[in-house]
Order: sequence, then structure tokens, then C-alpha cells
Amino acid sequence: MTALRLFALCLALCLAAAPVSAKTIKIGVLSTLSGPTSDVGVPYSEGVNDCADWLNQTDFIPGHTLELLTVDYAYNAQQAIAAYKRFTAKDNIVALQGWGTADTEALTRFVAKDKIPTVSASYSAHLTDPAKAPYNFFIAADYSTQLRAALKYFRERWDKDRAPRLALMYPDHPYGLSPIEAGRKYAKEIGYEIVGEENVALGALEATTQLLALREDEPDFVWIGGTTSSTAVILKDAAKLGMDPVFFTNIWGADENLPKLAGDAAEGCYSLQSAVAYGAEVPGMEPIKEATGGEPKMTHYIRGFASMYVMAEGIRRAAEEGEINGPGVKNALETLRDFDPMGLTPPISFYPDDHRPNMSVFIYQVENGQLVLRGEPSLERKDEWLGH
Amino acid sequence: MRGKCGLFYTSYGQERALLTTPSQKWRFGLFLLVYLLSPLALDAYDLSVLIMVHIAVIGAVSLNLLTGSCGQISLGHGAFLGVGAYGAAYCTANGVPFVPALLLGGTASALVGLLFGIPSLRLKGIYLAIATLAAQIILTYVFLHWDAVTGGAHGMMVATPSILGYAFDTDAKTFFLTLAVAVLAILTVANILRTRTGRAFVAVRDHYLSAEIVGVNLFRTKLVAFGASSFLAGVAGGLWGHYVMYITPEMFGIGLSISYLAMIIIGGLGSVQGAVFGAIFITLLPEFLNWGSGELSGLLPGVADSLMAMKEGIFGLVLVLFLIFEPEGLNRRWQLFKAYWKLYPFAY
Repeated sequence: MTALRLFALCLALCLAAAPVSAKTIKIGVLSTLSGPTSDVGVPYSEGVNDCADWLNQTDFIPGHTLELLTVDYAYNAQQAIAAYKRFTAKDNIVALQGWGTADTEALTRFVAKDKIPTVSASYSAHLTDPAKAPYNFFIAADYSTQLRAALKYFRERWDKDRAPRLALMYPDHPYGLSPIEAGRKYAKEIGYEIVGEENVALGALEATTQLLALREDEPDFVWIGGTTSSTAVILKDAAKLGMDPVFFTNIWGADENLPKLAGDAAEGCYSLQSAVAYGAEVPGMEPIKEATGGEPKMTHYIRGFASMYVMAEGIRRAAEEGEINGPGVKNALETLRDFDPMGLTPPISFYPDDHRPNMSVFIYQVENGQLVLRGEPSLERKDEWLGH
Repeated sequence: MRGKCGLFYTSYGQERALLTTPSQKWRFGLFLLVYLLSPLALDAYDLSVLIMVHIAVIGAVSLNLLTGSCGQISLGHGAFLGVGAYGAAYCTANGVPFVPALLLGGTASALVGLLFGIPSLRLKGIYLAIATLAAQIILTYVFLHWDAVTGGAHGMMVATPSILGYAFDTDAKTFFLTLAVAVLAILTVANILRTRTGRAFVAVRDHYLSAEIVGVNLFRTKLVAFGASSFLAGVAGGLWGHYVMYITPEMFGIGLSISYLAMIIIGGLGSVQGAVFGAIFITLLPEFLNWGSGELSGLLPGVADSLMAMKEGIFGLVLVLFLIFEPEGLNRRWQLFKAYWKLYPFAY
């Protein structure tokens, strides 16, 4: 009996003396701190990191700490694969924060094989089909859905008797081409007349030739599917040529830098976004302001923050089920239904057979050099659009 | 004969052997044995880096055959890898077994290489470089728009390599597969260079007029160089596609072509061994920089961030430093190193 008491006492002392240490959940982060997409990759990465810090401070996943392992892969698929292998072989990551098309697509089969849930910032529609990319997720509507939603938004506000004329300007690049087929089809379906298509490279220094070709067709709306710098070139050249259609851009086609690059020519340009602009009156802005010390950040930062937050919610739910592993987090993410990431993005739902986070897009317009929210059109979640 | 100082050959065959001395053969055999056993000790990351090295070696020795040995500069090598990758992937997707698919991918790449090699009769130097750059642009366009075969902007999924039912579905297995192909590629190129055709390549490179005067058919020789080089590039691309299991046009851009040129310049133009060194160096450089910035981040956070941001610049700087201080590449440095130890402790 004495021996039993002694054992119980020792056990109690051991338990009391044991430090209450949080378990670490490792997450790989593929960033482009250098290379061709670093201008937007750096703020996105900052958002991811700041969110993880905040989540740790608030004990978001009780008893667990998130540890981010960041590698700069310079937008090179080979380096992304090497970094990913290091994450999985040496660091035993549970999930991956990816970045662009080059790495996300190169890793699609690897993450599926290794069962590593990946939340990236490449929003190609085909990544939303779990039959092809079962472990890929993202928190913005895919490029095709964004374009469709914007076309719907402008069509509903069109009050002239004739069909609105639409022109498409995009780079001949996987990113630029991604939503074009879907956009063409939907535009015709809802009564647009497509009057022209032109290619403007991502690194273009001028777009006069393309705009002159389009000017003859007098488009009412011009879709720009490039990046902020190519949008600035198009807007400035359009202003020089006296063209004044409604320009609207893809998610990477406009951000807070557009007015700085294009000046007055940026005024009135619409930008499709999936995250709110800095300073928006939503609950999620409070931790962001705290993390950034009130210094305004680009919308890419907020998207990075939201991406980490949604991933953490998946991990938190997986932890509740006692399954903090790849399949556990994937399953948990697929239980999200209209999950509100503190207002930073439209509500998010993932289904086992449908990884489209939502069917909504924020439509911002440049007004006095600022991004001003104009609307949040939503579409029906149609099966035939999944993956296209 | 034992006891002799220096190398004495009694036949041309001996002189032309790839490994000439018993000591070289022993060293190489030992290295090969250790290398073959290395998967037992290495993890998936180490193996994946070595797999990428193997694939880069195939691509680099093939470009070295064309540019280093035959003097035909090419800025389209990345696209030739792409042709092989898409060709092999398309074949396996349509039920062709992996090995024939890889060879068909290489053949497709060789045919395309021959086509773009035709201007080489009239063009040389910077003009040929621009013509091959055009090949790069045209082929990238084809990858992006020939949806039925390449999957267009969305790319295409590629099956895991499998030979006679044996699937190469782990890094360790793929290590051996890519190593075998890399060794075959090295032996092929080394042997091509020891043939009449190989000597014709060098003659064309050194002085095309003299080569023509001594009976070398310039057009045929240049086309053979383009064809053989593109074939091996296609095989490298096919291996890459089957390793990654998903290929997109972005993977085979001008950046890849420049990387391969950097490999053969840093390794040493015209030398098979140099191309191998260059492939190893260029593939490991970003890993080394990532490792360095990771190690430094704990000690000197500011320096680590700067190193990370300067990665692209460091790549360019290394290239410039090699061109200035060791234009004959790592191979030359290796020869000097060997000569030093051969004579050690005597200077002469």
C-alpha cells in the first residue's frame, strides 16, 4: 500500500513538474521573396506570417503552436519541388501555403500523393476539381468565376438597348489564358457582344498597337487579365488614345500600386478582388492593424492573412477531431460551410467534391487614387462550371 | 608496365579509353558503389535534389554536344526539353509503355531540333542564337495553344513511370531510373565525341571552312548535332515530366534554356565532364543559397533576408565571375586540382 501511495505521489509530482508545452504544427510556406512575382509575393507572405503570429498569440488552436517554414523559391518550379521535398522529408509539415501557378501545378500530384493540404494563391479553375487536385484549396473564387461574376455585375447595370460590347486583353500566358474560354462563353450567354481580343504581355512597355486595333470596335467594356504593371501600361496608353471604355481587371491586374503607376489614367478602373482593402470595417481588420502597426498594406497582404486564417481553421477543426495530419486537415477544410474569415473575404465553403471556396467577388473601383468597394456579385454554384 | 613513370599507350584504343589508369578505374568504381548505395542513407529531399541533378546532367551534356562541341549556340534547349516532356506524356497517356514513350518523346524532340537546325547552315553565332530563340518562342506558343495534345494553359497530368509493371513511384526508385538514363546519356555523348562524327563536330566548331575543305559535310554535321542534342534533351524532358507528374508550358520557358547554357559555361564548354559539373553546380546553387539563408536567419536576420532577396543577382554574379576568372569552367579547375595532387609535394 505504501509503495502504491509512493508511486501515486511520484506520478503526481511528475505531472505537476512537466512543463505545459504547446505542440508544434509545422506548415511549409512557398514564397517569392525574389524573382518575377516578388512585388506581390512579399506582401502576401507577410500576411501569412503575421496571421500565424496572431493565431499563436490568441491560442487559436488550443495547446498547439503554428510554426511556419518559409522558403523563397523565386517562382521556379524546380526550386519549389526541392523546397517541398525538404518540407515533407525533413520538417514533417502538416500543410502547405503555396503561391503561384508554377509551383502549385508542379506540386499538384505530389501533394495528392503525400496527402498534404495546400492553400495557394493560384486561382486556376481546374484546381477546384477534387477529382484532379484533391489536396488543393484556395480562398478566392477561381479566375473563371471572378470573371463571370463581374460580367454579370456589369450586365445587370447595362441600361442601353443594344448588347454591351466586350473586348478582352490578356497575356498569352497560362495565367492570362486561364479564364478566357469560360469568360467568352458566359459573356455570349448573358448577352455581350465580344468585339475583339488582344494579347498584351505581362512585361509590356506599351499597348498602343493593341488598343488601336480595339478602338475601331468601340468596346464598352475591356477586360484586362494581366498584372498591375501591364494594366498601368494599358490604361495610360488608352488615355493617350482618348479611349474611355469601362476597364476591369483580374485579381492580380490591379492593386494599391495601380494609381501610383498609372496616375489619373487609373481613375474609374474596376478591380476584381477576393479580399477587402486595408482599412475596411470588418472584424478581421483589427488584428491586421495591430500586426501592421496601422501601416496600410496591399490587398495581397490581406489575402495572405485570410489564406492562413482559413487553413488554421481547418487545422483547428482537425485538432478537435484529434487528427492533425494531412487527411485530417483536408477533411476538416471540406466541412467548412459559409465560414466567415472575419469579413476579410466572402464566406467560404469547401465540399469533398467541390473545392470552389465561394462564387463571389468583390468589385472595387479606383476613385481618387483609392480602391472603393462597389459591389459583391455572386453566382449560382453550377456543377458544369466546376473545374472550368 | 609497372614501375614506369607516366602513361605509356601501346594502342590508339588505350589512349582513347574513358578511364585510362587502374587507379582511375578503382576510384570511379568506388564512387559509383557509394553513390548507388546512397539512397539507403538519404531522405526524400536529398534524393529529389539528386534526381534533378541527374535530369540536368542529361540536358547539359546534350546541350554541350551541340554548343560546346559543335559550336552551334542554342537558346531553345528548354523548349526541346518541353517537346520531349509533352511527347512522352502524350504517349504514356495514350497507353504507350514508359520506355518507348520516353524514346518517342526524344524522337519528337529530335525531329523538331532538326527542323530548327536547318537555318544553322546559313546562320552562326548571335544570328543562330536568335533563330533558336525563335524556336523557344514558337514552341512555347505551341505548348500553350495546342490544347488537344498539351492541355494548353492548364497543362497535363503525367503518369508515374513504370517499366514492365514495376512502378517508379518513390524518390529512391526514381533516383536509380534517372541515374541509369544519365549514365547512358553521358556514355552516349562521350562516345559520339570519339567517333568520326564527333571529330567533325569539333572541326566545325574550331573552323568551319577548314572542316569543309577536309571533307566534312557542314550541313549534315550540324543537323546531326541538332538532332542528337535535341533527342537527349527530349529524353531529359520526358524524365522530368514523369517525375513531376504534371507539366505546364511555364516549366519550359527561356529561363530553363538560360540555365542550361549557364551549366555548360560554368562547367566547361566542350567537355562532357564539365557539363556534368555545371549541371551539379547550377542545380545545387539555389539549394545552397536557401540553406545558407536559413542558417544565417538565426544569427544574422538582416543578412539572411538580403541574401534571399539577392538570390537572382548571386546567380548572375557567379556566372560573370566564372567567365572572368575561369572561362574554361569547373572542368579546368578540376584538371588543375588533379595535376596538383598528382605531382604533390613537387611543384613540377
